[in-house]
Amino acid sequence: METPTATRPAVRRRERAAAPDETGRRPLAAGHVIVVVLVALALGTLLNARGLRSSAELREPGWQRETTLALTRPLAWVSGATLLDRPRAALEDAAGHEEAGLKSGTAFQADDTSPPLPPPAGEEPRQRPVFSPSHPARLWVAGDSLVVTPGESMIRAAEDTRAVRAVAPVDGHISTGLSRPDVFDWYRHIRRELQRRKPDVVVLGFGGNDDHPYMTGLPKGVTVDDFGGPTWTREYRRRVDAVMELVTGRARLLVWMGLPITRDADQTRRFEVINAVVHDAAAEHEGVVYLDTYTMFAGGDGGYAEYLPDGQGALVKVRGADGVHFERAGGDRVAAELLKRLRDAFDLRGSG
Amino acid sequence: MLFPTATFAIFFLLVLPLNWLLMPDPPRWRIFMLVASYVFYGWWDWRFCFLLAASTLVNQVFAVALHRTAGRRSRKLLLLADVVFNLGVLGAFKYYDFFATSFQNSLSDAGLHVSPMLLGAVLPVGISFFTFMALSYVIDVYRGDFTPTSLMKFAVYLSFFPHVVAGPIVRARELIPQFRTPRDPRRIDASRAFFLIASGLFLKVVIATYLADAIVDDVFGTPERYGAVDALVGVYAYAVQIFADFCGYTNIAIGVALLLGFQFPQNFDNPYTATSPRDFWRRWHITLSRWLRDYLYIPLGGNRKGDLVTYRNLMIVMLLGGLWHGAGWPFVFWGGLWGVALVGEHWWDTRRRARGEELPAPTGLGRAWRRVATFNLACLGWVFFRAESIGDAFTLLGRIVTGWGEAPQLVTVGVLLAIAVGIGGQYVPTDVFGRLMASFSRLSPVAQGACLALGLTVVGALGPEGVAPFIYYRF
Repeated sequence: METPTATRPAVRRRERAAAPDETGRRPLAAGHVIVVVLVALALGTLLNARGLRSSAELREPGWQRETTLALTRPLAWVSGATLLDRPRAALEDAAGHEEAGLKSGTAFQADDTSPPLPPPAGEEPRQRPVFSPSHPARLWVAGDSLVVTPGESMIRAAEDTRAVRAVAPVDGHISTGLSRPDVFDWYRHIRRELQRRKPDVVVLGFGGNDDHPYMTGLPKGVTVDDFGGPTWTREYRRRVDAVMELVTGRARLLVWMGLPITRDADQTRRFEVINAVVHDAAAEHEGVVYLDTYTMFAGGDGGYAEYLPDGQGALVKVRGADGVHFERAGGDRVAAELLKRLRDAFDLRGSG
Repeated sequence: MLFPTATFAIFFLLVLPLNWLLMPDPPRWRIFMLVASYVFYGWWDWRFCFLLAASTLVNQVFAVALHRTAGRRSRKLLLLADVVFNLGVLGAFKYYDFFATSFQNSLSDAGLHVSPMLLGAVLPVGISFFTFMALSYVIDVYRGDFTPTSLMKFAVYLSFFPHVVAGPIVRARELIPQFRTPRDPRRIDASRAFFLIASGLFLKVVIATYLADAIVDDVFGTPERYGAVDALVGVYAYAVQIFADFCGYTNIAIGVALLLGFQFPQNFDNPYTATSPRDFWRRWHITLSRWLRDYLYIPLGGNRKGDLVTYRNLMIVMLLGGLWHGAGWPFVFWGGLWGVALVGEHWWDTRRRARGEELPAPTGLGRAWRRVATFNLACLGWVFFRAESIGDAFTLLGRIVTGWGEAPQLVTVGVLLAIAVGIGGQYVPTDVFGRLMASFSRLSPVAQGACLALGLTVVGALGPEGVAPFIYYRF
């Protein structure tokens, strides 16, 4: 007769190495499943610490962001110190992913030595430049996810005129903005794209992911306070100015799409702060037009509206299910406004 | 809460051990799982929890009342009331504004101006899924196929976090019996679970998100800008994107449930290997197809009342199936297209049978041709499913016909590779994956964990920054 003490190790052995089932797979005991998950997540966290930190920084402001930042900061340090961040970095390099992680203080500074493009030849001051189907204006649209749908509408509407031609599809990068050049360096990207694509008209839209106090790429010695506070506003304005100067030095017109009213009142208040900075900056830069989408998408009562009448008076859904992004009809509304601005700035001939 | 996020990883790290610790004590386990599921669901928007709770309570009241009522007429009335409640809630949140604006605009075209009240309600995540699950529970009780369970078990069934947001649509009689007895903690099919989770993450984060960004969004956003090659490859890319997105989600859901000890039904069976429209719907979103068959097609008479009634039933089911996916005419058109295809197949088979011709299973080239034809039919449907409007869909199709000779702008090696992986993966014999899982299962737990960590690294490195929500969340 077996004693209880003799059976226990046998049971444990059996649990550890359960017989394969009919599929040839060996089932696991719950305890072992937990071990697998723990090892996978612990090691996976160290291998991906840099990515996790970036994701944490992209979160909406609040306790969740603060907690994940506090957790991922030491993890990223350990991952770097133990070289466990190398496999992911190698894979990212192999996949051609853009390098993130600018050194502090290098963002939004004109460090290229190439001179701005010369002004268009043969153009009289104050005379509207002429574009036609044989010589169309080159349009480039870029920004965060809020720009994508309106950008597609803009390209459609602009190309319908035949006097404007998009030089590329909408260059949208979700969850990016001007606050986090370590996540996506818009300044560097815009500079490169301007040189490459040589647009006449640039439409940009940022800010939807900048409504928080966290900023990277700060100049040495600069710190920022709360979102919307004096130091934050000064630094954000510096970045907006830098982008405006960069674009207006190389293109004829920059249209900056402001942020729309949203379903969430708190978010709308934060967007108003960003809109104010951009609006003021646009007023001080020649060749920059601020496109106000806030009032464009407000309902009759001045509040958020999901449906608005179109040109024929039919009610159409203009805002997405999340209460922030645009539906196609909303994009068309922005595009119609853009066309008006283009016609103000240029003589679009042979256009529909 | 999205599956491929650090938040879910932390959530699951807490839920998994507690699930098994509490499993021997079912009443406590049910309380725990209910709370965990509501936290998961409410993470999106806590207000939705009230709707889920209300749906649970009302459907349970109807199920119990149906069980206790003997009169046929009373039972029918009770069932009708429950269906009206469920479809009413679904209609209010999902369809009211769509129909109200369509109605208003139709009147406006006729010169009559009315201003219907619009709800402007936020669409609760997963409402279509949990409404269909609640309906299946009450209808099964009405039919006598299932005895009402306790409110607690029903609440856990309806809110169970692996399926609550985007399915699979698990029947009450499939899941509730699993709640009655504790799951066996000694024999968990972990290698299959991990394989499903890893493949789901890869499909969603790498394949679906990449294709959306690289070609699909541009081609469908501004179709007139692209030539035939971009348009055609964009459509194929969307076919792979939606498969990778939805199959990826359900793979993760099934895998997560398996780790908790529960079996979910399969939701995809290599749909792009289908050889006919009917075969496609046996392989695509299987749990929705089953639901529509059992709770709509068969009650309408199925194929038992002659060919014409069968055709009518097929059209009704597919049109409503289209509308289930979203409040918009392109979805209805998509459903109608599949309805016509199914009717056509049925008509062809019936005609051949009437002539006394046998319907042998196709072999070799015949099967290859039918697969290509069915895949392209599915792609044609996806054009309407994805397009912003029916007009846009025809613009895109027009580019495929007339845009030859224009240089492709978006077709890259990466895009073609992702499409090849998405479609080719469905032709890999099941046996290969089976052997892979068997080999994995023989590793020590630590080695298994290390393999999974490397898998997470590959997904993290190849995936883009930030993960777009799953397509089926909005359904």
